[in-house]
Amino acid sequence: MAHAQRIEFSKDLESLRSFLPSLLGVMGRSPDWYPSIWFERKLRRAFSASLKNTDVTHSRTAGLVLRIYDGRTLHEFATESLEPGFLIESARRFSDRILNARGTAVGPIRTYMAPSWTERLRGISEREILEQIPSSPGADTPVHFGIKYQKDPRKLADSDVIGQLKETLGRMRRTAQRAGLAESELNYAAARAGLALEESMFIDREVNLSQSLFRVSVTAVAMSGSNRTVHQEGGLGGLEAIEIPDQPIQDMMSDLHALKAAARIRPGRYRVLCSPDISGVLAHEAFGHAQEGDTCARGRSKAWELHQAGTRVGNEHATILNNPALFENAGKPWAAWGSYFFDEEGWISNSQMLLDRGLLRAPMTNLTSAIRLGVPRTANGKRESWANGVYTRQTNTYFSAGDKTFQDLLQQLGDGFVATQSAGGMEDPKGMGIQVGIAWLKEVRNGEYTGRVFRGPAGGDINLTGFVPDVLNAIEAKSKIEWDTEEPDSARHPWNDTGGCGKYHKEFVHAGCGGPWMLLNGVSLG
Amino acid sequence: MRLWNLQELKNILNAAPVIKGWVITQESLNRRERYFLMDSGRLAIDQDREARDFSIRLRVFVRLGAQQDRQGESSIKLHGDQPLEPQLKALLEAASLADQAIWELAPSPVAALAPVQGHDPAIAEDIHAAMERLTTRLAGAIAVVQGAQFNSAELFVGLHEREQHFSNGLTHRSLQTRIYSEAAFSATGSGISDEYLETRWSSLEKDLPIEELVRESAERARHMIQVAPAVAGTFPVMVDSEVLLALFNGHLAQLSGANHYHELPCLKIGDPLIPSARGDLITLHLDPALEGGADTVAVSGDGTPQMRRTLVRNNRVEALVMDQQHGQYLGLPVGVSRGSVVIDPGTRSKQELIESRPRVLEILQLSGLFTDENSGTFGSEIRLARLHERESGRITYIKGGSISGSIQENFADLGLSRETIRRCHFENGVPSGSGYSGPAWVLLSDVSISG
Repeated sequence: MAHAQRIEFSKDLESLRSFLPSLLGVMGRSPDWYPSIWFERKLRRAFSASLKNTDVTHSRTAGLVLRIYDGRTLHEFATESLEPGFLIESARRFSDRILNARGTAVGPIRTYMAPSWTERLRGISEREILEQIPSSPGADTPVHFGIKYQKDPRKLADSDVIGQLKETLGRMRRTAQRAGLAESELNYAAARAGLALEESMFIDREVNLSQSLFRVSVTAVAMSGSNRTVHQEGGLGGLEAIEIPDQPIQDMMSDLHALKAAARIRPGRYRVLCSPDISGVLAHEAFGHAQEGDTCARGRSKAWELHQAGTRVGNEHATILNNPALFENAGKPWAAWGSYFFDEEGWISNSQMLLDRGLLRAPMTNLTSAIRLGVPRTANGKRESWANGVYTRQTNTYFSAGDKTFQDLLQQLGDGFVATQSAGGMEDPKGMGIQVGIAWLKEVRNGEYTGRVFRGPAGGDINLTGFVPDVLNAIEAKSKIEWDTEEPDSARHPWNDTGGCGKYHKEFVHAGCGGPWMLLNGVSLG
Repeated sequence: MRLWNLQELKNILNAAPVIKGWVITQESLNRRERYFLMDSGRLAIDQDREARDFSIRLRVFVRLGAQQDRQGESSIKLHGDQPLEPQLKALLEAASLADQAIWELAPSPVAALAPVQGHDPAIAEDIHAAMERLTTRLAGAIAVVQGAQFNSAELFVGLHEREQHFSNGLTHRSLQTRIYSEAAFSATGSGISDEYLETRWSSLEKDLPIEELVRESAERARHMIQVAPAVAGTFPVMVDSEVLLALFNGHLAQLSGANHYHELPCLKIGDPLIPSARGDLITLHLDPALEGGADTVAVSGDGTPQMRRTLVRNNRVEALVMDQQHGQYLGLPVGVSRGSVVIDPGTRSKQELIESRPRVLEILQLSGLFTDENSGTFGSEIRLARLHERESGRITYIKGGSISGSIQENFADLGLSRETIRRCHFENGVPSGSGYSGPAWVLLSDVSISG
């Protein structure tokens, strides 16, 4: 195994880092304001090889956000221009505008001051974070966090990436034939890769933070007619995170073959064994979104009321966590997709229990929702890009692991379905409904696969829906993290898959979601 | 500090023998955003932000040595504060590794491009004043609501100024405005509470009925706490323009040259759009000149002048969505590739459509509509619906369960309303939006509902 290293802070950003603290002085026009700065830069290479085309694209986006919280409102001015003269003038005009509007603002003032290092590190135990912080850091101490990697993505030439994608494409075509698909039946196949270096800085009067992450992914897509199967590998780390073994490609092609004869499910209630991918979507939509502090502060989440009332909303298996500090993914040496060292408002990452055996804990927060709700800050302030606003967002959301192997669960399922491929989801934080999309279902009788595959009643995806507490009370059992062996788990956290998340219908961000295999009894499918 | 200018960039591109074509798109974005909530009983602004972006995106097409029938293509966002040479070097290296069958950008148009109106002049003139005006309207609308609790709202106003330069000499400038509004209200009664979130995009302020949106959100929040569960079965289902926008814009893929070329599911000229259609027949146009449309453009990204085109007439496909690349590959005429979907209205009113069946499930909102453009299938949880029963005149509000449908099957016995509406949908970072103009409601048949 190659020796692990951490990404260093890019040298070409050092002059910007030295300059930015001076803007805090320009913005700090009132002693009770909380000024801060967020900067991000994303350098990405994207590749695609299909049966007909090969594409290569390089992109570089960068932008800076000037922020002032004045006790009532978080004001932001975001720009792509990093020219110092422009930024000083913008900071001056920005703070002038807030000063001039002071008389028209309404509501009580809740003053907030930049938290100290001591406050930010309270409760942090993740070694991967603590190891990178120098002893006794001060406001002027530049603290950098770099993601660990073994194989440097920057050293892989474009031509080599394309070569690897074409090799994957070749494997897909060969495997398709072995799975029983004639060459003409594989009408579309593509392999795609994304290699990105994402860097960011957060600066206020108490901290000067930076982080550098490699975000790497590879995706295989195959189609036969309108049937489609997909497999994605990825994470935050080096190229070791995007090697596609043969097994998932074999699974893709045998699923594609089976889908040609898929039957349509009759709407009803069934026993379902959900893959980690789908149990993650369930966690994310159930008490991920409902536990977003800004949704609570807006009066739009039932979870806030249920948390305060101490109402039980699930059984003993219903434990959900959110954790941006997943620097090993189910024992694999790369970070889960939604991980980072600090959020976009400068709060240090930590694991958080959202639902503990059916009882709701305090919500995740961004800055303004923590202030409004009077609950602790968590590292969940995220935005789609520097040009978008910040909200409370999930990072990696998952159910805790159980004690069964997959074979145990299959036996316990008896008659029902196994769901392996997710197809989106949607939250309903106030109404407590849930929608979890499932691309297809594999039928099981007496604990064994029958070979039959089912799609939705109209031939499309299947939706698992219901009232969230009912669904969380329907959890019958969960698998271990290492579900294919009876040995005790060696990994600390369950697997989290690559994914994306919208806030209702917009503001798309990266998010990981996962957990164990999970057996649900009597849930509605249609 | 800018290290180079547009003319210098053009000179370099024109002088490089390996480059066979290029497109430069300059875009300036100015966006205002506000998030509103209640604070101590008063409407307050939780976040107030402004974002400004200026970008130069360059797309190049390069020759690939001895391969006369192949070419490379790539694009990059150029940065004016960075030296040009290394940025172009990286771009050309990337393009030389890409590989596609050869095609050419459109020839320079002989006539002036027809003017189109994709922006709201008042917003373009003063985006800050527009935000204040919309805030006043929103606050006024919220203030008069009774019987429901205001939770939150959002207002976004954006101005996109674009300038496209093509290697064939064509230069085109355009403006686009985007407005987003949402309002969420909740209601409480008999020990339960629930909410309703209404969202709307538009290009023109006159198309954004904030007052109606607020009133409807509050009214539907009150219904959310008086719901029955869905009953499983198949129903005639009425859907609104929000659903139609998503379904028809997705289904355009099956009319596209790209799908034909990649051997993805597609329709050919002469095919029925809906097999076994027996209800109102669909006539569908793609209109890049629609005033206030989400994709109102005079010229496409490959330099082709855009004009409204009828793609489907009375359910028969009569033209395809064809850009230069795929038109040249397939040997088919190049035509319209951008624009809003326009559907001819029907002859019956919404009420007449509802009364045409013993019972109709009217979808007021789907939780999360997911569509598959390849299969034409769609599905979602039902956030709020109402069941109309003709004989008794009873209306029952429904929440929960899911809808599962297919354009090919459930559009067969279609009813198009005569009332029409224009809608837009935009996504951040995506230059073109999805537009719809046509029947405000349609009645589908035999749609599967799960309980």
